[in-house]
Amino acid sequence: MLDFRRLLAGLALLGVTASAALAQPQPQPQPLRIGVIEPQTGPVAFDGTSVIRGARLAAEEINRAGGVLGRPLELVTADGACRPADSVAAAERLITAEKVSVLMGAFCSGATQAVMPIAERNRMPLVTAVSSLPALTQAGNRWFFRNAETDAMIAAAFARGLVEQTKTKTVAFLAVNDDWGRGTVASFRSVFDKLNVTTSLSEFFDHSASDFYTPLTRIRSARPDLVIVVAETQAAGTLVRQARELRLPSKIFGVGAWTTPTFLNLVGPAANGLLAGVPYAATAPGERNATFVREFRAAHNEDPGKYSAAGYTTMNIIAQAIQRAGSTDSAAIQGALEQTDYAGPTGNLRFDAKHQIYGLQLHVVEIENGKPEVRGTATLEQND
Amino acid sequence: MLVSDFLQFALNGVVTGCFYALTALGLSLVFGLMNIVNFAHGAFFVLGGMLASLATERLGLPLWAAIPAVLMVMWGVGAVIEAGLLARMRDAHILPVTLVTIGLSVFLVNTMLMLFGTEPKNVRTGLEGPPVFLGDVIISQSRILAIGISVLAIIATWLLISRTRAGRAMRAVFQQPEAAALAGIPIARVHRFTFALGTTLAGLAGILLGAVFVVDPSRAEPAAVKAFVVIILGGIGSLPGAVLGGILLGLAESLWGGFVSTGYMDAVGFVLVIAILLFRPSGLLGAPASRVG
Amino acid sequence: MTENRIVLLLLALAAVMPVFIGDQYVLHLLVMTFFYAILSTSLNLVVGYVGELSLGHAAFLGLGAYTSAVLSTQFGLPFFICLLLAGVVAGLAALVIGAITLRLEGHFFVLISLAFAEVLRYVVMNSVELLRGPLGYSNIPAPHLSFGGALLVDFSSKAHFYYLGLVLLAFTLYAAWRFARSSFGLGALAVRENRRLARAVGVDPFRQALVAFVAGGVLAGIAGSFYAHYLTFVGPEVLGFGFTLSALMMVVIGGRGTLLGPLLGAAVVGITLELLRSVNEARLSIFGILLVLAVLFLPDGLVSLRWRRQPGPAEENATDALDSPLRS
Repeated sequence: MLDFRRLLAGLALLGVTASAALAQPQPQPQPLRIGVIEPQTGPVAFDGTSVIRGARLAAEEINRAGGVLGRPLELVTADGACRPADSVAAAERLITAEKVSVLMGAFCSGATQAVMPIAERNRMPLVTAVSSLPALTQAGNRWFFRNAETDAMIAAAFARGLVEQTKTKTVAFLAVNDDWGRGTVASFRSVFDKLNVTTSLSEFFDHSASDFYTPLTRIRSARPDLVIVVAETQAAGTLVRQARELRLPSKIFGVGAWTTPTFLNLVGPAANGLLAGVPYAATAPGERNATFVREFRAAHNEDPGKYSAAGYTTMNIIAQAIQRAGSTDSAAIQGALEQTDYAGPTGNLRFDAKHQIYGLQLHVVEIENGKPEVRGTATLEQND
Repeated sequence: MLVSDFLQFALNGVVTGCFYALTALGLSLVFGLMNIVNFAHGAFFVLGGMLASLATERLGLPLWAAIPAVLMVMWGVGAVIEAGLLARMRDAHILPVTLVTIGLSVFLVNTMLMLFGTEPKNVRTGLEGPPVFLGDVIISQSRILAIGISVLAIIATWLLISRTRAGRAMRAVFQQPEAAALAGIPIARVHRFTFALGTTLAGLAGILLGAVFVVDPSRAEPAAVKAFVVIILGGIGSLPGAVLGGILLGLAESLWGGFVSTGYMDAVGFVLVIAILLFRPSGLLGAPASRVG
Repeated sequence: MTENRIVLLLLALAAVMPVFIGDQYVLHLLVMTFFYAILSTSLNLVVGYVGELSLGHAAFLGLGAYTSAVLSTQFGLPFFICLLLAGVVAGLAALVIGAITLRLEGHFFVLISLAFAEVLRYVVMNSVELLRGPLGYSNIPAPHLSFGGALLVDFSSKAHFYYLGLVLLAFTLYAAWRFARSSFGLGALAVRENRRLARAVGVDPFRQALVAFVAGGVLAGIAGSFYAHYLTFVGPEVLGFGFTLSALMMVVIGGRGTLLGPLLGAAVVGITLELLRSVNEARLSIFGILLVLAVLFLPDGLVSLRWRRQPGPAEENATDALDSPLRS
């Protein structure tokens, strides 16, 4: 009964809209639709929502300046929940029913992997702002672009510097038990092995864990010089607080969005002294970043972090590509994306031959008085 | 170093065990008395934490005022849900009833996500001081507070069930529903009371966990599943069973994670469930005709 | 019109639909509906015919999906072999798990079945060398059908998967129908309606339940294999409670213990969920309410709108039971 009435209502609405649309001439230009698949529910919902925020800010900015090809950008969001099946369904819907021109998503590497063949089959450019599994750009999918660092790159960029700066001889890992956590640990370990740094422990925790006392106690008794934590906001906040409560003596280096205000808020004063390796920090120097931070603060009352910056830069890259292509033809956009040369808050971004971004700036930050102070910056070099 | 590690793991285990026990307590009562596999229990747990976070962070209420306020709201929620929904399904097959609680859980969790946002939330305790040292073993102030409140709540519930009229009515309905009805006990009221009590206990557990860790809607399902594990271990409908089961689970997880591997920590509970169900299905403290209290 | 005729009619309609529908999104929805219909039918064998609530059904789906993924990506076996083996592996697992757990009833069975599935999920999540843990298997190859040396169907278009799904669904429904009519099925019904009486007339509840459980497991494994090759990606989420829950909803909303029920349930639930995507944020809240209302007002499912469930097997004519092994 419910479905039938809904169907009637839907048809009626459709009829009214159609006649209204046909009746008037169209003075408004047709919006350019960009599909955004991010987790809006589940354990990484917070970070997924941050990506969308950044993307929206970029779109609004662009629209205020006149849009792309004279048309406004319109974001069509869908909840991929970081699940392959959900993300695939979202992609199908965005492509066929919502008729988007470009896809952005899907956050978790597993979900992105599932969407990639769909993008290829439909000749739809897919740009990810987050997915870090190295294999994604090795698969030869010409429609897929990655505007993010890979686990291997983070390790390569930071590992050596970390060891030198902190004089580390032994390290322990505490990571979330998923493709990102495991991938990052593996990447770091391969660099550390070459530098003769021993790994005393590798602990993994479930996405939904909230009590880290057990792995932290094990790490505490192993007494490593450095503890590398790979965790997202929702887990990382609790983890660090508990590490401090347990009086963990080792230095802690975090990979993930560790400079967001939410994280800093959750952890409180315990965050001071933390090191983190981030592809973005609100306190990073540069005029473009300062502008971005100012606007984000004005819109959301807090500083942007890794994910909002990623969403922002990705949307800008997409918009510029469409502008460069001069049309919404997917092959043209694909070609235009390859020629990306975008100077934004995260660096001067370009894609290499495998559609992997480079020019991205990676920072080592230390939290001091509740703010992330940049201690060192490395620029992602071109790989090939 | 090994001994102090063991003690730390054991203490961690007892602390988490207390939380498990409190979470499972309400579920045990509902499951035992009303025969409902209540999947919404986890959602109530999260709701309590969310409301307490709202009260302490946004409204600035101190913890001692926030807790009773939130508990009163939870009681109301439980009573309304029982009266409006579950009462209608009292004679239904286990399958539709379970599905209704699942639907309820989906609705509650998603609505909380919409209303409160995706950020994980904290419940402010006002205890920001340094942790307490017992030799080499560490426990934080907020944990001590949370344990204290849990113990009080468990004792209070036990007193409620064993010493008051309402509690006696509950036990009567649990043991012999038909005879209780014949003796004039208002079954419907007892069911409503029990469900409201279960909901409130879940909410309290959520508040305490929100104070010690964080609360967010994605924790609803794992919390519910853990609670089920505990009551199977301890025996359905047995209050001491829920406490024992909770502490046992906490200890088992902590010791296993500490000395063997943390990757399988959460699986420990399930393995224990399988073992218990095969060798002693009524649970550690449940007799075949399990009693409440 | 009898239930069986309706099912056949629906299948026939589905067979010609792609001629009229070219929209890839709609085809995708239908393919997923077929998948869920297979999964729900398999769950229905346990839940509907035996009457036990199994919360661990995703274990068999996941085992089938992983078997198919591993065999095709690591060993290069062709799809149809993988499909077969997926069913076999899932069936064997069902045999083992069922033998252990089916001795329990009611709430105990509910929880032990969930426990098994979750333990399996943790094992897979932590087996990084053997089963790639959380990384999962990607780029699972599409099936292809060849005869002699000639390539007949290469499954590059969605319509190909549509027909594959439809054929698998038809097979599943046939298997379920035969099961229900067989002595196993009637025995299972007897156990569901009155366990003691059944035992008194020589029907062994345990054996009946086990056969239904294994049959359900095999079909779930087949569904898993199809899923793996269609989505091309398999990870530990395939063993998670989410799929069990979806199948459960479809069985209950459609009508448990019937042939048409899971089919209707899969279609209605799947389509409702997709329609609700336009109200992105409130989607699951609305769905939760709809679920509660549906179960509240139609506890026996949509099928009961047309065929009322009758109490007591004693009222039924013996021959009626043979013609329609469903409660109608």
